[in-house]
Amino acid sequence: MTDEQPVAFHVDAVSKTYPGVRALHDVTLEGYAGEVLAICGANGAGKSTLSKILAGQEPPTEGEVRITGFDRPLRTPADAENAGVLLMHQEPMIVDDFTVGENVWLRDLSAAGGTRAWGLVPRSRREDTERALHTVGLRGVRVDRPASDLGPGLRQMLALSRTQVTDHKVLLLDETTASTTEDHFHDVLQLVERERAAGVAVIFVSHRMDEVFAMSDRIAVLRNGTLIDVVKTSETTPDQVMTLMIGTAVRGLEPPAPLATEAEPLLEVRGLASGSASNIDIDVRRGEIVGLYGLVGSGRSSIARSVSGNQSRDAGTVTLDGKVIEPTSPRDGIRAGIAYLTEDRRREGFVGDFTNGENMTLAAQGKYARGGVVRRDMERRRVVEMIRRFQVKGSQDTLTRTLSGGNQQKVIIAKWLETAPELVILDEPTKGIDVGARLNIYEIVRELAAQGKGVLVVTSEAEEALTLCNRVLALKEGRIVGEFTSADASTDDLIRASLGGAAA
Amino acid sequence: MSQQTANVPTVSTPIPDRSDNRALTWAKQQYPLYILVVLLIIAGFSTDAFFTTRNLTNLILQVSVIGIVTLAEFLIVLTGGIDISVGSVVGLAGVLSAGLFGGENVLVAILVAVVVGGIIGLVNGYLVAFRGLEAFIVTLGMLSLARGLVYAYTEGVPVTPGADDFRAIATATVAGIPVIGIIWIAIAIGMWFLVKRTVFGRRVYAVGSNKDAARASGVPVRATLLGVYILAGVLVGFAGFLLASRVGVGTPTAGNLYELNAIAGVVIGGTSLRGGRGRVFGAVVGTLIFGVISNLLVLLNVSTYLQDAFSGALVLVAITLTTLQLRKRRQATLR
Repeated sequence: MTDEQPVAFHVDAVSKTYPGVRALHDVTLEGYAGEVLAICGANGAGKSTLSKILAGQEPPTEGEVRITGFDRPLRTPADAENAGVLLMHQEPMIVDDFTVGENVWLRDLSAAGGTRAWGLVPRSRREDTERALHTVGLRGVRVDRPASDLGPGLRQMLALSRTQVTDHKVLLLDETTASTTEDHFHDVLQLVERERAAGVAVIFVSHRMDEVFAMSDRIAVLRNGTLIDVVKTSETTPDQVMTLMIGTAVRGLEPPAPLATEAEPLLEVRGLASGSASNIDIDVRRGEIVGLYGLVGSGRSSIARSVSGNQSRDAGTVTLDGKVIEPTSPRDGIRAGIAYLTEDRRREGFVGDFTNGENMTLAAQGKYARGGVVRRDMERRRVVEMIRRFQVKGSQDTLTRTLSGGNQQKVIIAKWLETAPELVILDEPTKGIDVGARLNIYEIVRELAAQGKGVLVVTSEAEEALTLCNRVLALKEGRIVGEFTSADASTDDLIRASLGGAAA
Repeated sequence: MSQQTANVPTVSTPIPDRSDNRALTWAKQQYPLYILVVLLIIAGFSTDAFFTTRNLTNLILQVSVIGIVTLAEFLIVLTGGIDISVGSVVGLAGVLSAGLFGGENVLVAILVAVVVGGIIGLVNGYLVAFRGLEAFIVTLGMLSLARGLVYAYTEGVPVTPGADDFRAIATATVAGIPVIGIIWIAIAIGMWFLVKRTVFGRRVYAVGSNKDAARASGVPVRATLLGVYILAGVLVGFAGFLLASRVGVGTPTAGNLYELNAIAGVVIGGTSLRGGRGRVFGAVVGTLIFGVISNLLVLLNVSTYLQDAFSGALVLVAITLTTLQLRKRRQATLR
């Protein structure tokens, strides 16, 4: 299939390094016109980085990306646009305050391709607009309604309608189907078929096996930033691809033994509904580490956030240590004895202008103050002690934002432990963190459990879930679909459960 | 299943210990102070009239009221907000303190001014913190409202207070230094203690730097913001009384355009308009910089119109300096 087709893009020995992490290592890949290439990989394998580089959103650290018919390597988003690369983001890029029609033509505002700020916006392209919307299945949507009226699935389709009005040679779908439903997926499928027929090179980034197999001609598998293999879809099975994706993984820790059943229960969640999660029952006993495993959008963070008061819940009861609690703010959660370590470290985890010391005491300021006045000697002594205990790089006067992700995370963990919580909820505690710091964090988590605290770990890494936790609950589309322990399950089982067993 | 991943490197960047050369770090951050020193040198050389006891006393009298207003503005800017109603509130507090209850008793007058300022701060703070409105637009409304009340109350005529000792505070001196200047410095020290040493102050910095992280860490973000606006209002109200006391009457135009001077003083003192970063000392120095410049321009007989142009140009230069410093710091962070 690929032999007679012209090369559309060429990824040549591309590596990408972020501070502290090597996201991509020496990836070489070619794509052909009129072909659908799927890029698969587990979370953190480098899929998103590769698509960002392909779309010129970030320049590669080494190597280059060339598009046929464009004379330079891609370095900037404008390059990519001029070269004919169209990127569809995981989160649809929609301007809420614009109408549906204006959003279709958003590309007209781009600075690429010689558009001038004093150019006039064409007045009426109603027919073109409606045709573009129809082809992606958005029938009966009023062009002059604000885009904010559309639900998440429809927003993605609106973004996709731009493929109809923008010239492009390469179409990049970055987990575009993550938030769409079954019938919209059908529209996406048709769209991709048409694109392929029109000679566009389509790149489809996903970890959903059924979609990958429904669409693609070839599959490129990434693992830990390295391109493992490129296989023809017709010559492989979902099982084989999954094995390539998972590979042999990190085992830095021995998995814990299941907890003795007589340990007293600490947290009881019954019938919880919040965000995309519904009908959730969870028990966490003292000294137990429970994992919540699921893909993006499976409702795992909604559960963690609503239990800790960071997000409101629609239904259900939460009992901590025998008391029914209804925290409506993080402050309430802390008072009740729950610490929630956020997934979004930069936005919610620490204060950017604060030093390590100031960040570490932020959640428990009362402990270091008398009459509202901070007792600085006492605060300093304690901070120095914590920095030593958690092996944080830098001193108490170092700005937290200058540290690596792993050290920032340790500072945040220290902050939460200062509140003396009964229950510690860790949302993706090792996201973007290198192996060394990861083990540090695992040890801290184990230690917490050993002290008799309850720990709930939200994670999208099956390996982490199984090595760290006594029990793992797998989530799929907002519901718990299974319970696993490392003794009776492999990462494979966990991933399959969260994907809905489509591949099995 | 027991293989360690080899291709994820553990990067350990050595982080320079900032406590090593604290004096040097401190000195590097004091560029407002250097501007002030250079200005003083220029002032000393350009006219003999500058370094005279009389002129310096005058200078202190001029900067003290605006200095207190600048401290209030500093606190609000630290939260990432802004208050452009301070000038009008100075005017309102001034005329009411001189006029209500006949201005018979100085203590009552002070109380009136402080309460008026506090109430306005409460309204501003409620709208910003609990209704989630933009500080700029809230205080823009308050600017008109307060000034309008001033004119309605005075009908454009200065209000003469009944008390004989109404001017006492503003005219008294201790060892040759005007009391009003001592009050300003005392408030500055109090402000320094508040933001640097108390839990409240720590919260103000946290809210200004990252509201989400502060909230997630259990900081009562809205109560902190409300407290900041009330406290700032109280200070501005008190400044309004001091101004009326200095002039001897409650003037309807008192405090006009103070907001510009206050914001400029805060910014020139190195406080980030985005919030979360700034020092009280900077706000004091910023006030002095403006005070010295306008004093000098008067001594040199520069026309009033050009004086404004000079002040404006200085703000631009100072803000440019701030961004240069920020950019350097950001690069250091990325490395």
